[in-house]
Amino acid sequence: MNEAVNALQELNWGLIAPILLLQFILMIVALFDCLKNENLNGPKWLWILVILFINTLGPIVYFIFGRGNR
Amino acid sequence: MLFKKEWTESVRSYKILWIPVVFILLGITQPVTSYYFADIIGQFGGLPEGAVMDIPIPTGAEVITATLGQFGQIGFLVLVLAYMGIVAKEKNHGTQILVLVKPVSYTNYLTAKWAHLLCISLGSYAMGYIAAVYYTFLLIEKMVIADLIYGGIIYGIWIAFVMTVILCLSALLNSTAFVAFAGLGLTVVLSLLSSLTPDLMTLSPAMLTSHSQNLYQTGQVGSGFGLNLAFTLVLIIGILIGTIYLFHKKEIAQHTT
Repeated sequence: MNEAVNALQELNWGLIAPILLLQFILMIVALFDCLKNENLNGPKWLWILVILFINTLGPIVYFIFGRGNR
Repeated sequence: MLFKKEWTESVRSYKILWIPVVFILLGITQPVTSYYFADIIGQFGGLPEGAVMDIPIPTGAEVITATLGQFGQIGFLVLVLAYMGIVAKEKNHGTQILVLVKPVSYTNYLTAKWAHLLCISLGSYAMGYIAAVYYTFLLIEKMVIADLIYGGIIYGIWIAFVMTVILCLSALLNSTAFVAFAGLGLTVVLSLLSSLTPDLMTLSPAMLTSHSQNLYQTGQVGSGFGLNLAFTLVLIIGILIGTIYLFHKKEIAQHTT
């Protein structure tokens, strides 16, 4: 257990930060669009859950399949 | 004018934002995971006590090759899914008739879409590639920059080829799902054939990927590269012209019947 904590501290967060930031941007944009878009494929609450809880893939799937035509 | 319309369409559907982000994520993740690979296995692998682990950190060439592999799989999947409807969807909605009743030629209509497709895909790819190279330099090792640039351009031409095929399929087929299926299937078959029987497929566009890998690893492209490149460029132009011709014919046939 201690080892795991040490490893976490040793991680160079400067390297990981851009990944997290990009994932965050993706999530926020998808979320905003989902909230104001009235023409979705499928129920809105489901898409919100998908965007929030499926990392990276969730927002992408939303952008590809979630947005209705027009 | 039409080119601009494509851009507003992409901005409105956020494609211009999320496709580059996906490519950059792919580009960063590969070097970082290969750098921390030994650690990750150590933490989660549950190796028995005393097992000696000696996983070497891969060379820069291997990492860049692996990243291009990611682009070739997940990247293509994303691009194809995002743009499978580029013509087919408008055809099904009938919006392209609104565009085409104006004095706009089929050539303009399709080349505008083609140019837009190439801009987005190659732009996103370039961003992802730069991110991958930057991280590889930072974490693993420095490589020859000229090789990286040439290799990147060579791989970019393969991407341009795939995108042209997607446009062609989207213009000629009506079902978007079938466009995605046929497009991805074609790239997979081409890549597989090229890696299994390189001697028979010296002209195949997918061979460009192995030429770029050679460039990273040895600093030289494989034999037959010039011919391969020329053939691929001719093929891209040929498919584009063929698409315009067939699309034109098909639409006219549709309106007269």
